[in-house]
Amino acid sequence: MCIQLIKERYNYRHLIWILAWVEFRQRYKNSVLGYFWSLLEPLLMLGVLYIVFSNLMKIQVEYYQLFLLLGIIMWSFFSRSTTLSLLSIRFKPNLIKKVYFPRDIMVISTCTTTFLMSLFESVVFVIFMALFQIPLSINIAYLPCIIFLFYILTLGVSLTLASLNVYYQDMQYIWALILQIGFFATPVIYPLSVFPPYLMKVLSYNPLAQIIFLAREVTLYSKAPDVASFVYVFFVAFVMLGIGYAIFNRLEPKFAEEL
Amino acid sequence: MAVIEVSHLNKVFRIPHEKRNTLFKAVTEFFTPVPFEIFHALKDISLSVEEGEMLGIIGVNGSGKSTLLKILARILVPTSGSVLIKKRVTPFLELGVGFNTDFTAAENIKIYGIIMGLSPKEIEEKSDYILEFAGLTRFRDTKLRNFSSGMHVRLAFSTAIQTNPQILLLDEVLAVGDIEFQKKCLDTLWAFKNEGVTMVYVSHDLDSVKKFCDRTLLLHKGEQVMVGDPREVVTRYQGHDAT
Repeated sequence: MCIQLIKERYNYRHLIWILAWVEFRQRYKNSVLGYFWSLLEPLLMLGVLYIVFSNLMKIQVEYYQLFLLLGIIMWSFFSRSTTLSLLSIRFKPNLIKKVYFPRDIMVISTCTTTFLMSLFESVVFVIFMALFQIPLSINIAYLPCIIFLFYILTLGVSLTLASLNVYYQDMQYIWALILQIGFFATPVIYPLSVFPPYLMKVLSYNPLAQIIFLAREVTLYSKAPDVASFVYVFFVAFVMLGIGYAIFNRLEPKFAEEL
Repeated sequence: MAVIEVSHLNKVFRIPHEKRNTLFKAVTEFFTPVPFEIFHALKDISLSVEEGEMLGIIGVNGSGKSTLLKILARILVPTSGSVLIKKRVTPFLELGVGFNTDFTAAENIKIYGIIMGLSPKEIEEKSDYILEFAGLTRFRDTKLRNFSSGMHVRLAFSTAIQTNPQILLLDEVLAVGDIEFQKKCLDTLWAFKNEGVTMVYVSHDLDSVKKFCDRTLLLHKGEQVMVGDPREVVTRYQGHDAT
């Protein structure tokens, strides 16, 4: 069944790509700075957070600028994907009511758009890596794997939210609130070790915390990924995708009537 | 060979009196049921369409024509009964779905073409021809926001017909454009018909139904009144109108 699904979605790859491309281009068409806006945004956030947290809070982390930047890029991929996916079905009634294609394509393409945006932002990260002359090791080869799991997890959450938002229009406000809490429950600006041990234990169940942790380990600190967290992330990602598809497929038949 | 087989199809819409569309309400009013109206849009429809046949569907507003078409297009899901379709379906329910006014004509051909199931390679090959057919070659790189509604529709139709349809679902799309373009459209449909494309055609234009269709279905309040020779069915329909 899984292979069937992948095969079917592969047949729709052109559609996924064109919808993602349209959204990507539309996002920047109105801003004067165009595509560079998307580079400026993380840089600004980096600047502010860096000044606050390295000078005022005195966080002691090696390569803190890069630690922070990677955290910001990864967090914004998650928060943007889920926020935009929430609206991906609701705001395109024409595509739902006048033509047919598997509806999850719309969520997949939205996540792909945000992935493109994050990829674009990563250019800044790569430049910083070079500037600070971070030593690389073979362990960076794990990074694509980690990113793939991250995408799977994000897609699972996005599918759930997109379908629920068709029926419950306050989902987007509730989710905005959850994201705000999530930002602090995820080690974006600080390592998990700033928390007292009991809280650290609880927060380490947050799959995002584990994914960001793994990504930092392999890119910044030349370490092999921790097997336990890797296995944990792997399972959570695919379980979430399963839950996402289960909910989505259950609600999907009535999308055209609800909108 | 029958390519569309519909048997005992029913479609029921539940229309709640008050729409409960927030999670907050769904939770707080979980135990107070919302009163709703039941609307029986299609009642026990059974029919089959042979390969290469053109079936017309006529009926007054609200008789369920568009609902039936949407079920055939897989946009709506039947409440009960079965729909069996053995070929690829191309719905022309509305032209220019996914058109984006911030993009140029050429870009929109690409977007719309892919939504309608063309491959990027086919679009590249046919792009010039599409623009020529629509009479818009000069406006290739003009943004769609500067197009008139007629130009819009011409571009959409020209793109849509490139999809090599096997089964075509048409909902009143011919009622667009000037006489010259309408003639072009009809010619295209004739060509499709001669190529053996199966078509389901919903229309209020009874003359075109009589002229094109091999068989016609008359719907009234969701019920299947009559299927058969277009002339007879149209006469019956007009008789209905009078009473």
